[in-house]
Amino acid sequence: MLRYSSCSRAFAVALIFTALSAGEAFAHCFVGARFLPATLATDDPCVADELSLPTVGWSKTGDFPSATEWDISVDLAKRITEDFGVSIGTTWSHIRAPGGPTMAGFGNLETAFQYQLLKDPSHELALLLGLVVEWGGTGAVNSGLADPWSTLTPTFYFGKGFGDLPDSFGWLRAFAITGQIGYQFPTRSFDVVEGTPIPQVLVYGGSIQYSMPYLKSQVRDYQLPDFINHLIPIVEAQFSTPVANNFGNSALTTGTINPGVIWVGSYSQVGAEAVIPVNRASGTGVGFLGQLHLYLDDIFPTTIGRPLLGGSSAPQQRLNF
Amino acid sequence: MRIRIIVFSFLLIAFGNVPALAHAMLQSATPLVGSTVASAPREVSLTFSQNLESAFSSVEVTDANGTRVDQGKPQISGNTMRVGLKSLPQGTYRVRWRVLSVDTHKTEGSFTFRVGP
Repeated sequence: MLRYSSCSRAFAVALIFTALSAGEAFAHCFVGARFLPATLATDDPCVADELSLPTVGWSKTGDFPSATEWDISVDLAKRITEDFGVSIGTTWSHIRAPGGPTMAGFGNLETAFQYQLLKDPSHELALLLGLVVEWGGTGAVNSGLADPWSTLTPTFYFGKGFGDLPDSFGWLRAFAITGQIGYQFPTRSFDVVEGTPIPQVLVYGGSIQYSMPYLKSQVRDYQLPDFINHLIPIVEAQFSTPVANNFGNSALTTGTINPGVIWVGSYSQVGAEAVIPVNRASGTGVGFLGQLHLYLDDIFPTTIGRPLLGGSSAPQQRLNF
Repeated sequence: MRIRIIVFSFLLIAFGNVPALAHAMLQSATPLVGSTVASAPREVSLTFSQNLESAFSSVEVTDANGTRVDQGKPQISGNTMRVGLKSLPQGTYRVRWRVLSVDTHKTEGSFTFRVGP
């Protein structure tokens, strides 16, 4: 079984990232005048050069009695071409049950291969297709924090800003939505340890967000404090529903609804969300999710912030109306 | 030791390369975005969060019929772009801009202002 230490993981991420260092410098998730920030619980609908380090989560599980869980994640996204990107990430978890054992270790490595289907600037619309792969056996299987089997999740993502509404809609034009839906296949159909089938799962979610930067620069400048003009209040939701090969398991949908806010700067963003379980199986009480997210295409515009292949560092044509 | 290696790896990623630049975002505009002004302005001035490449940045101002009401070549200095205006009667006008920051990031946007009581 292939296993990794935390040190080799950190080095692997750094070295892979450093190796992918050539190409062209352009945007993270800009679609026309709209900027869609990196969301915390779901994914934004763009390929990009970005680093989430760290994402920190705290919650109480849906077990009886509830265990306290800390999750610390890192995720690196890198464009290979202008429209195709890959990402790699992993999560370290620490779970402590009252009166029970403490479990700690890494989950499986997760990669995503994503292709930008569409960016329509005039309608602030972005469509993305991806394949998310969780590599079985690369995490702490013996601790029960990772599965020995892999999963494949073809996923469709979208984002839509409402800046194309008529001017009469005023402040409503600063709203945007994002969403994703995927179908998760395990590479095994039966868990011999638990003696149960491994279900196929529909995973879906999205966000509704209100962009104060958009309000200020595209709709109306109310001359609010600068800090306020960098905020994007957001509500995210994420769910999973077993839909096949589920004999003997609960078919209950689990998920969370996450109200929060993202502060957007020139080179990074900081997000914080409450995590509200939708039912008892999803968790107990209100948890927390926080993230520091770096825009690598802005921090390193001439080197690792560019796609690996294609394009040039110079604009191809003069911008004219 | 483990923590030190992880921190070192992060520093390698975050600070191991070139000076930082970013997308040019509209910071302020005169007339203000979405505002109503009593007297017709003589120019539109846009200030961005980053310096601009003058050869690849442009702005246009149109009236409600889509007719251009800007005149002259946009003047770009550092992070500010200005364009002169014809004599504007009362009405609503749209400013459309596209800019290239000095690190080749493109951004664009538009807004309206109104001349009238």
